[in-house]
Amino acid sequence: MSGKEITLIVDGREVAATEGEMLHDAAKRGDVEIPVFCYEPKLGEPVGACRMCLVEIEGIPKLQTSCSTPVRDGMVVHTRTDQVKHAQSAVVEFLLVNHPLDCPVCDKGGECPLQDITMGWGPGKTRFTDDKRHFQKPIELSPLVAIDRERCLHCYRFVRFSQEVAEDEQLQLLERGDRTFVGTFDDRPYVAPFHGNITDLCPVGALTNYTYRFRARPWDVEQAGSVCTLCPSQCNVSFTVRDEQVKRVVARDNPDVDDGWLCDRGRYGFEMFAAEERVTEPRLKGAAGGADWQAAIEKAAAGLKAAGVGKVAAIVGDASNEEGYLVQRIMREALDSENVAAGRAYGILRHDLVDISQPALSARVRDIDAADAILVIGTDPLHDSPILDLRIRKAVRRNGTKLAVATERPTTLDGGADAAVRYIPNATGAFLDDLVKSLSGSGDGESHFGADASQIADVLRDAEKVVVVWGENVAWGDGRGLLALAEALNIAEHDGAGMLEVPELANARGLREVGCMPEAGPGLSQRLGGMGVAGIRDGLQSGEIESLILFGVDPIRDFPNTARWKSALAAADHVVCFSMFENKTTALADVVFPLESHAEKDGTITHPDGRLQRVRPSASRPGDIRPNWGILAELSLALGFDTGISSQPSAFAALAGEVPFYAGITDGDIGGRGIRWQEGPAAAAFPTRPEPSGDPVELVFENEPGETTYTEARSYDLDVSTYRDLWVGPITELNPPLRFLSPRQTLELSPGDAERLKLEGGDEVTVSQNGSTIRARVAVRERMRDGTGFLIEGTASDNANALPDLAGTIAAKIAKVGE
Amino acid sequence: MQMPETRVLLKHAEDPELRTLAGYKRYDGYGALEKAYRQMEAEEVLKELEDSGLRGRGGAGFSMGKKASFLPRGEMQKYLCCNADESEPGAFKDRELMQRNPHQLIEGIAIAALAADAGHAFIFIRGEYDLQADILDAAVAEAYEAGYLGENILGTRRDLELVVHRGAGAYICGEETALLDALEGKRGNPRLKPPFPAVQGLYGGPTLINNVETLSNVPRIVAHGAEWFRGFGTEQSPGTKVVSVSGCVQRPGNYEVELGVPTRELIYELAGGPGGGREVKAFYPGGSSSPVLTAEEGLDLPYSFEDMAAAGSMLGSGSIIVADDSVSIPHMALRTARFYHHESCGKCTPCREGTNWTVKMLERMVHGEATPMDLDIVASVQENIIGHCLCVLGDSMAMPVGAMVRKFRGEFEQVMAEAGTAVAA
Repeated sequence: MSGKEITLIVDGREVAATEGEMLHDAAKRGDVEIPVFCYEPKLGEPVGACRMCLVEIEGIPKLQTSCSTPVRDGMVVHTRTDQVKHAQSAVVEFLLVNHPLDCPVCDKGGECPLQDITMGWGPGKTRFTDDKRHFQKPIELSPLVAIDRERCLHCYRFVRFSQEVAEDEQLQLLERGDRTFVGTFDDRPYVAPFHGNITDLCPVGALTNYTYRFRARPWDVEQAGSVCTLCPSQCNVSFTVRDEQVKRVVARDNPDVDDGWLCDRGRYGFEMFAAEERVTEPRLKGAAGGADWQAAIEKAAAGLKAAGVGKVAAIVGDASNEEGYLVQRIMREALDSENVAAGRAYGILRHDLVDISQPALSARVRDIDAADAILVIGTDPLHDSPILDLRIRKAVRRNGTKLAVATERPTTLDGGADAAVRYIPNATGAFLDDLVKSLSGSGDGESHFGADASQIADVLRDAEKVVVVWGENVAWGDGRGLLALAEALNIAEHDGAGMLEVPELANARGLREVGCMPEAGPGLSQRLGGMGVAGIRDGLQSGEIESLILFGVDPIRDFPNTARWKSALAAADHVVCFSMFENKTTALADVVFPLESHAEKDGTITHPDGRLQRVRPSASRPGDIRPNWGILAELSLALGFDTGISSQPSAFAALAGEVPFYAGITDGDIGGRGIRWQEGPAAAAFPTRPEPSGDPVELVFENEPGETTYTEARSYDLDVSTYRDLWVGPITELNPPLRFLSPRQTLELSPGDAERLKLEGGDEVTVSQNGSTIRARVAVRERMRDGTGFLIEGTASDNANALPDLAGTIAAKIAKVGE
Repeated sequence: MQMPETRVLLKHAEDPELRTLAGYKRYDGYGALEKAYRQMEAEEVLKELEDSGLRGRGGAGFSMGKKASFLPRGEMQKYLCCNADESEPGAFKDRELMQRNPHQLIEGIAIAALAADAGHAFIFIRGEYDLQADILDAAVAEAYEAGYLGENILGTRRDLELVVHRGAGAYICGEETALLDALEGKRGNPRLKPPFPAVQGLYGGPTLINNVETLSNVPRIVAHGAEWFRGFGTEQSPGTKVVSVSGCVQRPGNYEVELGVPTRELIYELAGGPGGGREVKAFYPGGSSSPVLTAEEGLDLPYSFEDMAAAGSMLGSGSIIVADDSVSIPHMALRTARFYHHESCGKCTPCREGTNWTVKMLERMVHGEATPMDLDIVASVQENIIGHCLCVLGDSMAMPVGAMVRKFRGEFEQVMAEAGTAVAA
């Protein structure tokens, strides 16, 4: 957009607008509503199909569609003349010719743009007396979405979503004229990770969610704005609540976070809130049924107190800032232990985090849209932070942004990337070193570690606004490579350039900043001596740790090396587990406390780009679940330490008082859209980077993998690494609508490896290492590296975490089942 | 004495050898191409085309030279598309031009591509024109072989790639932007304009789209000059026109005449008029999408763009369909509406629903199931379509059907009453 400010006249009033924007949008800001069905700027260029927005523009004889007419200075527009009214009324009449008007049984009734526009702009009665067209109704477009083709207005919205936003290209208009209908090739189900968005886009009841059909009317429900905490995207959502239960989740447009889209996990995941496996009351080991709250808290406190000094630890996973803050206070202040960590196994060191998180290096999500180039490194956004996948696609499609992808495993973004390379798992640091050298022109042009960094460097070299989307693992243990990359790309110097982390935990940034790190307290203040997750595990086995709090984590399922975790938990004297669901970890716990879902919780979280967002209680808590902050405050009291926290606001006030760069941010500032602390009143209070020492740092990589060559003498078949799949976990297993997506264990191989191991797609194999064996089905994938296979972490059976980890990769034996 | 044709485009059309390169060259074929490529600058060719006043023969009648001049100058990928998707009821002139004289079209494309600075050209031919497409394929191969197409044409370091693309059978793909979508491999739906194809057309590049007959005129304009061309036809409609005459005439066919000849002579003298002593009742002057003219309105008008427009109709593609006094106008309206209902792409509301509704009402009228209100509703629905659609297809039904209801209201009432009586009995 050119950005020039102009003035036009709409219905006699002056409207200020930006040259080139569409007349419909300019008029809207001037408080003139022009009705539309097909127009939706998020879907790209206007199509002008519905013809609802015809208006009169002086100097142009024919009526024009305001959705596709860019405004000019001095333009004079009329939207309520007889000619315009006549045309708009005619279009409504035409739209109703084949619309079944089955409003009384239509789920859209009451929140239907067609109803509203018919009332506002339509003729009020019909002259059409012939038969309407008929289709079978409704039919399954997918297992989650029903399509009623009779109701369709042919607005092209969902076709455009499929083709220009999700880019899955599955939806098409078939046939033509008034026989046109929306469908898929060969009537195959439309299965794609973002497909639920089409139900939000549909301006009639043609597309409805099976999870919401006939559940409620708009006047039965309340819309409660909150934030989805199922992944680090932290999309803004509205919960549709009836009788205090969530019946539907819809996207709540926030261009700074989600651009108005929502993935199917976030949309359809809510039925697990009512799963049978839900923990709905406190429970003590060995006791049948639930426990009294007071007894459970006393028991938990007694077990923690019984441990020797410093022999307690806490691991935090799914938690709000307030919850994480309270857990670390219990550890540090009530139990005098620094052993508090967040995550699964590894972590980022405090000084690296301080370096990488400097506001000058931080990217906003919005920066993706206007970037000259994007580097995706060490993450597949589709699995790790799905909505970023759409955001990056949008930049490439709409803005012509260059895209470079450097990962261990193929990503869904490879197809649209200018360069995509695969490096050896755990060689990220070495790859970064190559990339930095290549960017500065000092590389030797050879490709180490299997990936050609110069291809990536070529895409990034001349770009100014570079956004680096990096997976947390890139900085595990050593963030210097990432920092060197930021410097090589001059990120601090360019507005709109920045680093954006894709962490493993949904609220990883918030948890670190409120002090859930073994070497950092609230505000990333330096602390010394705590153990990380792996250290805690080993400590449990060796007796260094006797008592443990697990908050929103399931180590037996989600952490590497299941066997060691099982024995670690068995060796613990006392385990207090806060969990939403009963699982193999809660089965080993001495005290289990229920956790709230994100529809029930009140608290704040921090987006990976620094945006503080508010999770609001929207639905009632099932059973005897209580607010988590309250349980933690009471547990602290029972341990003899008064946190002084008596409400959620007081919890936030207390943490904001301890995190210097959160200071001064109020609930009101956070509001419904959140606020980045970097743009808040106390951003300057972020810890400063230590002065660099005079000597250049020589990067040394442990376990530096040499050129890998495969010889007959190898004692194993394949290096196997693991990834976290979008559909793994309770989201599919405990949630009936998504159960069909629950993945089976799959061994992904390159075509070369498949040939070498004489395997084909679909073969059943066993993958073994050091006595542990799991079964998997083979999938041969292009764009994989030879020599590296992938398994899925956290599957319900044959979990890859059962294989012992050896420096992150698994040297595995592969055998075909039955041979 | 029968009025003579003025054969320019169809000159030597009776010679079956004309379709071969050797036959075409016997009549100075590719002389204009050599002149344009060797002796003229692109701007000179463009100016010659503008000066000739050649108007598009596909329907809209827009100045061909002016359209070509809208393409931006400068280094970029530009395209030329020849619209050979001749699908309108009543039109069959392009078929004959391609079948009898394919090299004339290829030469015209090569010269127009020079003027428009296009490096890639396509002939989008309707899929049913199988014979003509085969003939074009053979002629294009000959032209490549002879160095009139391909790289470094006649040693002038200019390149032109020409591809014959067969359509898959949709009238809408004759709409220029739908043609572009279809050519790109998408569903053939019209695009919003602006941007116009001259600015953003095929694959997003500037694109010149012209009809077969328009491009077939180009070689002779370049060979003989704009002044020579203006020696034919009228001031506002220069040149000759191949007119397809069909319907109730004794000698249906293509006739090439100077624009501005009396319509009556075209229908009666060249095409032989209605047989059996019947008289012309009405006719479509420019294909099935032009508003019908009654005999009184239209027969004595000069057959030109301006005179047909002044009479409230249009010359369109230059296809006359004649209805004599034995033809039932309501049935003719139904037949017309059915065609457009069948061919509506369904993208925009008024066309998709309006064509469907109109057909349903007209069917009830001729079947005696209409109410007296329906005639007013049909007329009103046509008005509600006109000017409200994304492309001109909706108008193409609404204008002729609206004109028929307006001009033959009495006949509609009579047919409705008679059919109603028959149903009641």
